[in-house]
Amino acid sequence: MYKYDHIDQTLVDQRVAQFRGQVARRLNGTLAEEEFRPLRLQNGLYHQRHAYMLRVAIPYGLFSSNQLRTLANISEKYDRGYGHFTTRQNIQFNWITLEDTPDILAELAKVEMHAIQTSGNCIRNITSDAFAGVAGDEYVDPRPICELLRQWSTLHPEFAHLPRKFKFAVNGAKEDRTVLLCHDVGIELKKNSSVNDGELTADIYAGGGMGRTPILGSLIKQGLPWQLLPSYLTALLRVYNRFGRRDNIYKARIKILVKALGPEEFAHQVEGEWLHIQNGDDNFTKAEWDRVAKHFTKPAYQTLPALSNEQVITKANEADKIAFTRWLERNVKPHQVPGYASVILSLKPHGTVAPGDATTAQMNAIANLADHYSFGELRVTHEQNLVLADVEQAKLFELWQAAKEQHVALPNVGLLTDIIACPGGDFCSLANAKSLPIAKAIQERFDDLDYLFDLGDISLNISGCINSCGHHHVGNIGVLGVDKDGEEWYQITLGGEQGNDASIGKVIGPSFYADEIPDVITNVINTYVGQRADDESFIQTYRRLGVTPFKEAAYKNKSENAKTKDKFEKSLGIAS
Amino acid sequence: MSAQQQILHFPQGGNISLTPNEWQIWNGLDEGGLPDLGHGSCNVLVPFSWWIVHHQNPDVLAKAKNGQIGVWFASDEDILKHAELIKEGKQYWPLVAAHFPIFRDGRSFSTAAILRDRLGWNKEIRMIGDVLIDQLLQGARVGFDSFELRQDQDLDVAQKQFDLFTVTTQNSWRTKRSLLKDSTVCG
Repeated sequence: MYKYDHIDQTLVDQRVAQFRGQVARRLNGTLAEEEFRPLRLQNGLYHQRHAYMLRVAIPYGLFSSNQLRTLANISEKYDRGYGHFTTRQNIQFNWITLEDTPDILAELAKVEMHAIQTSGNCIRNITSDAFAGVAGDEYVDPRPICELLRQWSTLHPEFAHLPRKFKFAVNGAKEDRTVLLCHDVGIELKKNSSVNDGELTADIYAGGGMGRTPILGSLIKQGLPWQLLPSYLTALLRVYNRFGRRDNIYKARIKILVKALGPEEFAHQVEGEWLHIQNGDDNFTKAEWDRVAKHFTKPAYQTLPALSNEQVITKANEADKIAFTRWLERNVKPHQVPGYASVILSLKPHGTVAPGDATTAQMNAIANLADHYSFGELRVTHEQNLVLADVEQAKLFELWQAAKEQHVALPNVGLLTDIIACPGGDFCSLANAKSLPIAKAIQERFDDLDYLFDLGDISLNISGCINSCGHHHVGNIGVLGVDKDGEEWYQITLGGEQGNDASIGKVIGPSFYADEIPDVITNVINTYVGQRADDESFIQTYRRLGVTPFKEAAYKNKSENAKTKDKFEKSLGIAS
Repeated sequence: MSAQQQILHFPQGGNISLTPNEWQIWNGLDEGGLPDLGHGSCNVLVPFSWWIVHHQNPDVLAKAKNGQIGVWFASDEDILKHAELIKEGKQYWPLVAAHFPIFRDGRSFSTAAILRDRLGWNKEIRMIGDVLIDQLLQGARVGFDSFELRQDQDLDVAQKQFDLFTVTTQNSWRTKRSLLKDSTVCG
């Protein structure tokens, strides 16, 4: 993986020193909170319900065992013994003090990590495929471009105060695992046979996003040679910086500008600006590519025979065979190199902790697993799980046993309980409603692994507010927390999907109380089970039948539940 | 707009200094018209939108030729629409300014970048309006070289902002991105 050179290291060290000075001015009262706010946000520090939250970047999702140990230490020393992995390849600590933050950032800098631009109205952490470099369906390893763009965007002076946050995703595989079309800018990398005999080029999608107005990005540029990304992106961001709306925070994202102008006109304006700057010396050079790309070479793989699952299973003793087989089916993914596989460690145990949470002890243990089984490297996925990307197939059973001890071996990857959820109203001051108890209730309701396996691939995503950090718009089933007269309600969307066939879910109707949600999900799932054709996944059945049967099922018990609630409230004397 | 008495200067390749403010910012709305510049006490920065309308007025032109008029760009000014007029202005204006209605409105960063990158403006660009200590470095990198800070900002602290970073990972008006010493061809 990428190693900092003295330029990267100096930059993060000096950034810590700068922020230390800013915090000191905040604490001595010479810097007002209103003016400090964007400064702390661009260093990852939010003010939440109970304390400060620090969001640390894991650029394009790749990190080392040593870095994970530092994160574990931070969770123990400065937080309450856990961290929360997010949908955008960051980790958050929920119980941080302002006074400690410069020291935490200094500890991160020692292991080549930072929290720069993980929040605020600037270019955020650049996300990519968690399986970059190992995925069987990859045509370009996106990591060198991600790293070049990380450097280019870090402390970019012109784009430090954009109308709103700005998120990049970069994909280089056949299957999109980055939610590319829901990003402000999605960069699809290709080897282009028509340009310089297989030159690396980029297709640029702009104006995607979730939030209040979910929109999929539009293709605005095809076949851009990789070297020209800085000048093209400068032109794109310049158009957005100048003309993006600043009068209404809900209309300030680039998607609103692209929609208002139309993708063709937006692309035209970007081209107009780019024409004047495309030959400048901002562009990437071959020397820079070489400097960065040399860090993303293959690890020292051994020459091993490729094993079938049947051969891998023979390692397991009789009693473990069924459970181990399930794990192989769900949590182990094919690898480019014979004899190796990628393993997803599930951070979604049923009904115990928040999706994406890992304790200090788990983080330390997982760091050891990475050292033992995967060349000391890890990845964090958009779905809030961790990946050991380079595991010998012959050691999978051994790893499974070790992962089980840490409670990160539940074979629920891609299943109904592999829920994506934001921290919600338990922590986040933006949230309208809690997400975590909903996730817990659903996981408890669907705790039967046989049944989950039978249901197969289904995504269920929960956001505690319309900011959509839990990506509910692209969940097959989406749950959105809404506030109605000070009460927490939940709106259901159906038919969302991430990946190559991305779609935005449809709201099915009026929202539900929290305690109705497990029944609503059960009714929706039962409709799928009753109506599915052979081997049809939930989303396929939904697309074939449309929303109606699912909607009817969802509201089946509505009046009954409402009556129960009325009765309950009357008994407490609080009904209107 | 409350003006600091001292202007912070940081010319490209030069040193940081403070000098008395010789430029009054006029909002273009006063009923009396262009402020009286007869006493030589002050030069005036007029709104660019006002210049568009009044630049052919003989009195205005005379003062401009005398080097007493510059323009300031509002944050929502689409300067590329008036590229020719700005290029013409090079012969008159000793400096231009770009305004920050609130410190976190970054449009004028792009204005300065366009003036430098595309319109070939090589004289002073002043950062005016809600100019705070912590945005100086960004301003200096996109093309500003003088700064009229908001009245309450500490000028001692302000002067220390420009050398916080000795490296950079993208080009800017002031410096190219840092290169490793051992890399031979990083052009």
